[in-house]
Amino acid sequence: MNPFFFGNSKAPLYGVYHQSDQPSAKHGVVLCAAFGQEYMRSHRAMRQLATMLSRVGVPVLRFDYRGTGDSAGDIEETTAQEWLEDLNLAIDELKDTANLQSVSVIGLRLGCLVATHVCKSRADITKLTLWDPIVSGTDYIAELTSEIKSQPQNKRSNFIAPDGTLHYNGFAINQELQNSLNALNLLNSYPENVPEVVQIISHNNERFTSLQKAWNEYSSFTCHKIDAPGDWNYVDDNGGILLPQPIIQGIVNQYKMREAA
Amino acid sequence: MRERVLRIGKPQALTAIASIPKTNVAEDKATIIVNSGVMHHIGTCRMSVKIARKLALSGHLSLRFDFSGIGDSTPRSGTQSFTESASSEIREVMDYLEKSKGIKKFTLIGLCSGADAIYESALNDSRVTDLCQIDPYCYRTPRWKFNYWLSRITSPSHWLLFMKYRTGLMKGSSNTDIGEDNIELPTYIRDFPPREEISTGLNKLFERDMRLLALFTNGQPKHYNYEKQFEESMPDVDFKGLFSTTYYPDCTHIIAEPDQQALIIEKIAGWAGATETVTQAVNNAPPLEEAATA
Repeated sequence: MNPFFFGNSKAPLYGVYHQSDQPSAKHGVVLCAAFGQEYMRSHRAMRQLATMLSRVGVPVLRFDYRGTGDSAGDIEETTAQEWLEDLNLAIDELKDTANLQSVSVIGLRLGCLVATHVCKSRADITKLTLWDPIVSGTDYIAELTSEIKSQPQNKRSNFIAPDGTLHYNGFAINQELQNSLNALNLLNSYPENVPEVVQIISHNNERFTSLQKAWNEYSSFTCHKIDAPGDWNYVDDNGGILLPQPIIQGIVNQYKMREAA
Repeated sequence: MRERVLRIGKPQALTAIASIPKTNVAEDKATIIVNSGVMHHIGTCRMSVKIARKLALSGHLSLRFDFSGIGDSTPRSGTQSFTESASSEIREVMDYLEKSKGIKKFTLIGLCSGADAIYESALNDSRVTDLCQIDPYCYRTPRWKFNYWLSRITSPSHWLLFMKYRTGLMKGSSNTDIGEDNIELPTYIRDFPPREEISTGLNKLFERDMRLLALFTNGQPKHYNYEKQFEESMPDVDFKGLFSTTYYPDCTHIIAEPDQQALIIEKIAGWAGATETVTQAVNNAPPLEEAATA
């Protein structure tokens, strides 16, 4: 595990490189994190996924988008378009660091939106895995808005400011970020250039089903349900975090088989 | 301000991020921010990042790091309890900064379990000169009891919740449906030591002129519910004017409220700045003999 800053030295991104046990690894993976409380609650799961993948011979880079985690900037000054640039940078960084020709990308929640749109625009992505994906930016904003309205008891932390900024569980999404997220939609953005696209879901819901239906016509697409229910956005007063072992193991097994093949 | 990743210790290094000011107002001093629970080093709602950057912009070298096994620090083998390992890892980070940067004085900041860990460190290491605890150990007073019961009796929302529980309308938490295999809870069990133990410890700390800022959210309503409670619960402590406290009744334990985040960051930055004002005043003052003859 090697944490480092990369990218523009004036606004660097924080990343953690997990070197593979195999010195001549052919494929690498970039992990695309979730956002807000979901990011906090999934950090350990992403670390574990990265560690396990590196042990089966896959070098991994996980990183923070600008305005999040340890990367430079404030969320109030960030757009989803910049997150797409950040992922492009991260992919190039991993290719350089591990001397790879191509990489795979695994997205979690909001990270799936970013991952899909970037993968669609590149020719060096061999596999895209979407874990409990947020299906569209519009959907995500609507979901948060609905959550905010259903929790009047938490009105000091969860509210919509007069300027339209959504405040939810300690993180803010201003109007500009909302607008840029609204432009991202998986339903009409199938990455046909990616040879293998996998949706992994921990439970059933309408949104996951709608994506599955929209993408089922593509032969490169598969969907797997691995039971591990849990609310990514829940705030646990005891500081509990989600660590859905069956899903982590399931993703690792897929890459293990791929490396063996 | 710029930031650097540091890897401290071997063979399993601790991961730290240093926020380095353009100009350091106190070359021999640094601030260290520790984890709370199993949350990684960016802190609850990214507060550790915001505090570290704010302090660095005001000229204070600040460092946030992960205890072993948490966040981006690899687990270490051993049989130490969290209290023991946290204390020894904070010491390790201070040793590193002392050796590499000549830093001899440290401000420690921690929330909840982090507040407990930095208290232990302060007791055992005289290099700790300033301590900022958020939701530290605290003890009930008669006024706490009065406030607590009064609020329960007079609060319509309390009665509403009570009725919902009684009638089964209250939904369980979202974690209740999650199998044990899919969730990780902090292993550290927070037991408040006897009050006398803490008052003895505080007297020792103030005896060596350590400054303490204690911030309280409403996250411990069964233990704390008014501004001066901490001082009132410690009548046998000589605070020597080194203690300051603020109670944030509108702030949750994870500091999710944006206005409260801003208040707490400003409070800590102001308090840290006050140290430098005092230090600079002392450093800039003429030697005692000169002052006496001036």
